[in-house]
Amino acid sequence: MKETIVQGLHQAYSNFVHMIGEFLPHFLVMLIIIAIGFVVALVLKYLLRTLLRLTRLDRVSEEAGASRVLRLAHLPPMSELLSRSLFWVTWFGFILVGLSMLGVASLQEQISRLLRFLPEVFVAILIMFFGVAIANFLSRAALLAAVNAGHASARIVAWAIRFVIWILAITMTLEELGLARQTVISAFSIVFGATMLGLAIAFGLGGQDMARRFLEKYWGDARQERDKEPQPL
Amino acid sequence: MSEDTFLADDLLRQLISVGEVDLLVGVSSHNPATPIHQAIQVIEQSFQQNFMRQRVVIVLMDGASKDGDGTAIDQNENALPNNGRSPGITSLRTIHRVTANFLTEPLPGVALRTILAVADLLRARACAVVTSSSTNLTTDSLARLLLPAYREKFDYVAPLYRRHKFQGLLIRNLLYPMSRAVFGCPIREIYPSEWGFSASLAAYCLNQNVWHEDSIRTRPEAWMAISAATSDYRCCQAYLGDKGALTGPTPNIVDILRQTVGSLFWCFEKDQDAWLDSDKTASAPTLGPAQELTSEPTDMDRHRIFEMFRSGVTNLEPVLGSILDQETHAEIKSIVELEEGKFRFRPDLWVRTLYDFAASYHHAVINRDHIVQALAPLYRGMTHSFLVEHADSSPAEIEAADEMLCSEFELQKPYLRERWKAKVEVKS
Repeated sequence: MKETIVQGLHQAYSNFVHMIGEFLPHFLVMLIIIAIGFVVALVLKYLLRTLLRLTRLDRVSEEAGASRVLRLAHLPPMSELLSRSLFWVTWFGFILVGLSMLGVASLQEQISRLLRFLPEVFVAILIMFFGVAIANFLSRAALLAAVNAGHASARIVAWAIRFVIWILAITMTLEELGLARQTVISAFSIVFGATMLGLAIAFGLGGQDMARRFLEKYWGDARQERDKEPQPL
Repeated sequence: MSEDTFLADDLLRQLISVGEVDLLVGVSSHNPATPIHQAIQVIEQSFQQNFMRQRVVIVLMDGASKDGDGTAIDQNENALPNNGRSPGITSLRTIHRVTANFLTEPLPGVALRTILAVADLLRARACAVVTSSSTNLTTDSLARLLLPAYREKFDYVAPLYRRHKFQGLLIRNLLYPMSRAVFGCPIREIYPSEWGFSASLAAYCLNQNVWHEDSIRTRPEAWMAISAATSDYRCCQAYLGDKGALTGPTPNIVDILRQTVGSLFWCFEKDQDAWLDSDKTASAPTLGPAQELTSEPTDMDRHRIFEMFRSGVTNLEPVLGSILDQETHAEIKSIVELEEGKFRFRPDLWVRTLYDFAASYHHAVINRDHIVQALAPLYRGMTHSFLVEHADSSPAEIEAADEMLCSEFELQKPYLRERWKAKVEVKS
């Protein structure tokens, strides 16, 4: 009895030592990969930040109005945001590779799925960034054009343009991430189609007189209207 | 880039046959509403009457020919007046005509560069440019542009006009006082329809590395005037008579602001070394009478202008918020609340507003084209204020108000410098 217990304990100790002996090198490899990943991510972050500053991305982002959105969301400037994103995406990738070195079977599949998912996350972030920038730029351009043409509903026009582009960007982002793909596309098609059809019916049928006045004003008597302002030059 | 690399072979062949000249007049673009032979006739008569002994040439920009072989002008050759055949007038020399052919209508900057290159190659002593908006060109007015450069060694000859007191308000309230305060450029018409210049100024401008810039390609006039004033070239202003009304479709105010104010702001950016730490001023004596103002009754819709201002400032609040200083924006929002009868755009507020726009353009706080477009409602506000305030003012009173506005611009120049430099320090 006593001998069996001692043998069992000895066996367990041997197994434990064997496991430690097998696990420790893998663990050390994981730590080394994570450390190397940290250094690589840091280098890539500084390289990207320098490159983006050289290409004056912050100025482009400022001009497009994307920086304003970032400020509202208490986020750093665009070059900083992108370089930090690259740092975390790279380091996270190395951490996953490191974890896979532990050889835990159940983790392997999840890790490889996450690794495949990382580039899609990065592309999704880019799509959202460009979506917000384009929406801000075009809605501001529309607002200025409508205001300077004397439209009564200039803000609504600008808001509608921003809304449509945001919806488009969000849909593309979700599709890139593969989240509820069919539902998102269907919802977008329904909302976009309904909005356009509604506008067409409202403007074409409900507002025939308004449409005629609009066309007359901007293509017919535009010169007569402008002549009532002093000649600037 | 040397002239022979961008001038067409056909044009170079024509120039070789002309040789050196004393005077050159370039017709920078064709206005479809004004047949080209009218302008050529005036120029040739002016040569025959005033410059009988000089070697002269007319340089035409032909953007009408589809295949680039100059057929459009050649086909109309019969419609053009024959050189030196006007009855009772004699010229001792041949009046040459050369044509620069373009596939499409050349942009003003491209046309001006070609004229400057031709002037440089032909060693013209005095030159003038006539644009499509020169509707009241006369033989005398052309001579008044050429003579100061030819006989009195002036390098830049700007025109002065007789015009209605409510005409040219963008020049009166923005372009002239702002360029005078910032660059010390005393030239009233920095976007003239016609102007004169010397060969040395032509060579100087030609050698500047600016011709690829959009602002120069669309409206190079202000840059040339400012370059002359800030580079110690001798400038003067010559009275030419009536300005004349524009022909053809009336340009949109936003387009005009883009071309003129956008180009002026670009000059601030490009030539910042000339004004940022300097208060140098140039002089430009007036030859002949000073500009004259008339005051016939007009059909201005002041109420509509005010409503465009009010709705514009209200709708553009977020855009103006990112361009204007907080205090300036708050003041503008407060005057928008006033009734039309009590509304007045104070000169100090107008100047601060424009300096905020110039600084925001420099820092590109939003898209630069959007910044210039956002100025349109505020310009309308200033226009309304001017129309109300000077409804019964005499020319002398308007002139005094002009001087006060110029003083205000000069007084607040440190504010522009401060805002111009402020964000640069933050960025560094």
